Amino acid sequence: MNIYVCIKQVPDTETKIKVSGDGNWIDTAGIKWILSPYDEFAVEEALRLKEKNPGSTVTAISAGPARVVDAIRTALAMGADNGIHVEIPETADSNLAAKALAGALKKEAKVDIVFSGKEAIDDGAAQGSQLIAEYFGIPYVTVVLNAEYSASSVKCKREVEGGAFEMIEVQLPALIAAQKGMNEPRYASLPNIMKAKKKEVKALKMADVGASESDQKIRFKNFQLPPPKQAGKKISGDPAAQAKELVRLLHEEAKVI
Amino acid sequence: MTWQTFLFIALAGGAFGYSGYRFSLLFRMMKAHQGKGPKLDRIPERIATTLLNVLGQQAVLRKKAIGIAHTTIFWGFIIITLGTLEQFATTIYEPLNFEFIGQAPYRALIFTQDLFTFGILLALGYASYRRFVVRPEGLGKSTDANLVILITGTLMVSILLMNAFHILGTQPWFKDSLPVSNFLSEKLAALGLSQEGNHALALVFKWIHMVLVLGFAVYIPSSKHLHIVAAGPNTFLKKLDRPKGMKSINFEDESIQQYGTAKITDLSWKDTLDYYSCTECGRCQDLCPAWNTQKPLSPKALILDLKDNMYRNKDKILAGKIDEVSAVIDQNVTEDVIWACTSCRACEIACPVFIEHTDKIFDVRRNLVMMESKFPAEVQTVFKNLETNASPWAFSASDRANWAEGLNIKTMAENPTVDVLLWVGCAGSFDDRNKKVLRAFTSLLKKSGTSFAILGNEEQCTGDSARRIGNEYLFQTLAKANIETLNRYNVKRIVTACPHCFNTIKNEYKDFGGQYEVFHHSEFVAKLISEGKIKPSKGIEESVTFHDSCYLGRWNGIYDEPRDTLKSLPGIRLVEMKSHHDQSMCCGAGGGRMWMEETIGKRVNITRTEQALETKAGVVASSCPFCMTMLSDGVKSKEMQDKVRVMDIAELIDQSVT
Repeated sequence: MNIYVCIKQVPDTETKIKVSGDGNWIDTAGIKWILSPYDEFAVEEALRLKEKNPGSTVTAISAGPARVVDAIRTALAMGADNGIHVEIPETADSNLAAKALAGALKKEAKVDIVFSGKEAIDDGAAQGSQLIAEYFGIPYVTVVLNAEYSASSVKCKREVEGGAFEMIEVQLPALIAAQKGMNEPRYASLPNIMKAKKKEVKALKMADVGASESDQKIRFKNFQLPPPKQAGKKISGDPAAQAKELVRLLHEEAKVI
Repeated sequence: MTWQTFLFIALAGGAFGYSGYRFSLLFRMMKAHQGKGPKLDRIPERIATTLLNVLGQQAVLRKKAIGIAHTTIFWGFIIITLGTLEQFATTIYEPLNFEFIGQAPYRALIFTQDLFTFGILLALGYASYRRFVVRPEGLGKSTDANLVILITGTLMVSILLMNAFHILGTQPWFKDSLPVSNFLSEKLAALGLSQEGNHALALVFKWIHMVLVLGFAVYIPSSKHLHIVAAGPNTFLKKLDRPKGMKSINFEDESIQQYGTAKITDLSWKDTLDYYSCTECGRCQDLCPAWNTQKPLSPKALILDLKDNMYRNKDKILAGKIDEVSAVIDQNVTEDVIWACTSCRACEIACPVFIEHTDKIFDVRRNLVMMESKFPAEVQTVFKNLETNASPWAFSASDRANWAEGLNIKTMAENPTVDVLLWVGCAGSFDDRNKKVLRAFTSLLKKSGTSFAILGNEEQCTGDSARRIGNEYLFQTLAKANIETLNRYNVKRIVTACPHCFNTIKNEYKDFGGQYEVFHHSEFVAKLISEGKIKPSKGIEESVTFHDSCYLGRWNGIYDEPRDTLKSLPGIRLVEMKSHHDQSMCCGAGGGRMWMEETIGKRVNITRTEQALETKAGVVASSCPFCMTMLSDGVKSKEMQDKVRVMDIAELIDQSVT
């Protein structure tokens, strides 16, 4: 099988986000970049599918500035065979990234299945997967907890609102977007880390994949940090007075009731 | 030349020939191991250690009664072997006795032999009493051991009877020099045998003795009694560096394809010598915190199981088919066994023949982690945190210096000319309880007028846990980054309140170009007190028990400084737990266990906390952030937190220095 994984590089979960000088993006200086955790589930799922189908290859694709090659190397170290990097601007939106990734997929001879994370943990837009599938012209299933693969289709168990599950069977080729819990991603072995360092990552420009700046539909500006967390308030007095004060605070200060 | 000559030569030739062949197999198996063995340096020091421990039996004698019994048997064996040689010689050619050394020396020789023969019987009596009546748990049951006691006992009895009948038969000139045999002969005279009868019986017992000796020679290579050959060399080859670090892997060397031990032959020839040296005394097991809390790891069983694995693969190893050797993880040495170790080193300290258990465990872990990515699932988060934020806990690297906010502590970037760098460590930076320890220690440093600074956000985890868990690659990444930073600031002296950071920076960074004078804060505080820079004055009317950190104590030999520091507190009553100093019990957090769930058996920290509570002390003093966490948790589980406080020595001293 020809298995593809679309991945994104994101700031580490512990990063203290700062707004850039012009206010239109975040300050990327000093940020530790990681492979987005949901994409790790996607890579793991791709590798497990490969292991069940000897002779398959797993290709990791990422769109972004030069730094995202590190995320591709992480996927290679986990066991992916090939890497493709499409260079797009730092401030690209989901649409441009999806267009670029779908364009890269179109250049491949045969695509049997595509994996991705259900969302990236930086902007949390949760629309990349759907857009990629749409531009590439294949069906998709998102927020997938479990997948059973057969030669021509995949049975997916996906999470829906209210703690319920939905079972969807989809014909291949299709895109499967992983939810946390789909698997336990492996820790790269050292020989694989070493091999990953030497593997070639195919470098593509936007023009190579039929994407351009005009595919960016969102312009970002005036970023602001959320207000700093207030210290907790202790309400004292007899229970009746406490309840009254609590209602007042929720109504007047928190404005939630 | 008689029939005896020919019979003896035939038997001895056969026995020594076969024994020699068996030894050659053991030697070839040893040589087939591919791991790197120790370097042979510092020969005079090695000779001294060997003399002290082989002839002087120093380590054996750490257990009094059985130590004295063993020493008697050991020295008796040496002296009596001279007599055995004399028996062999006279059997081959009768006049070849040792009387040529002169009457007086000969008398002295046989006098000592006679006494030792009796002494060995007494020692064997005690050993049997211990083995069959007292039955210490660590000793276990062993047919091999029973057989060795039986043979040795029979050997001694046959010597005494041989001598006694010889005295009755020939009344030799030296008979007064054989007090025990002579006494026995007086009793045996009651049998009223003829001279020929006595002669014949002397000969019979001589042959019984000689045949048993030859039999022993055949038996030894396949017995735990092999230690009589291997323990000496093993002592000679022991790691001399205590304090010691772990051995490094050179990742630049592309010829290395295998990291760590996947199969038995990935270990080194020295590890083989360790198995050959083990005589199953069980001292290692007695002190093992894993074994004593029902984990599947026994250091003794580990050594025997590794030996067993090697023997199972004997044919392949001897045939050079190393690729076909089976995995080191088997039904005995399971992954649970390997992960149970807290690397406290109690086993190595206890071992009288200097077997090195921890390096074997570390090396198997290296294979599991780096080659096979197999480790307790919860550790993966720790690795990821270390990789992205250089801390085992999930905190941003940019928050590392937050603990020091408002304390007016300079970073090296702000003041690179200070006398000493304070290495904070991840616990001191991120763990709320241990942040307080750092506050107390920096308060002390300020009161003493010490000029110090921290690295702030430039500090990274030393990599101790990563290394102990087996992720040498991650360790080296962290170590090299830290060394680069330390060397950039030209740091010469470092003080830290964490024994793990202390051990790693002091003993392990030098392999990667980091040479510093490193102090644990207990040493540093002791120094400040002795130099009069701080003076504990406020009394604490409290009994305090000190818990030894393994990486301070057993790994670095620091036992007195923390205690001296505590003793300087007016009013303090220092009480020891039932196990302390080098016999102390681990808190359960070493060897990366800090980051693993403990699901098998009783919790190590609870067991240790119970020992602390038994002292009725109001304060449990610790000198390590991991011990602090484990003991605090233990005291809380025992619901004793209102009565017993767990405190770092720096906190106690800081309270007392006004």
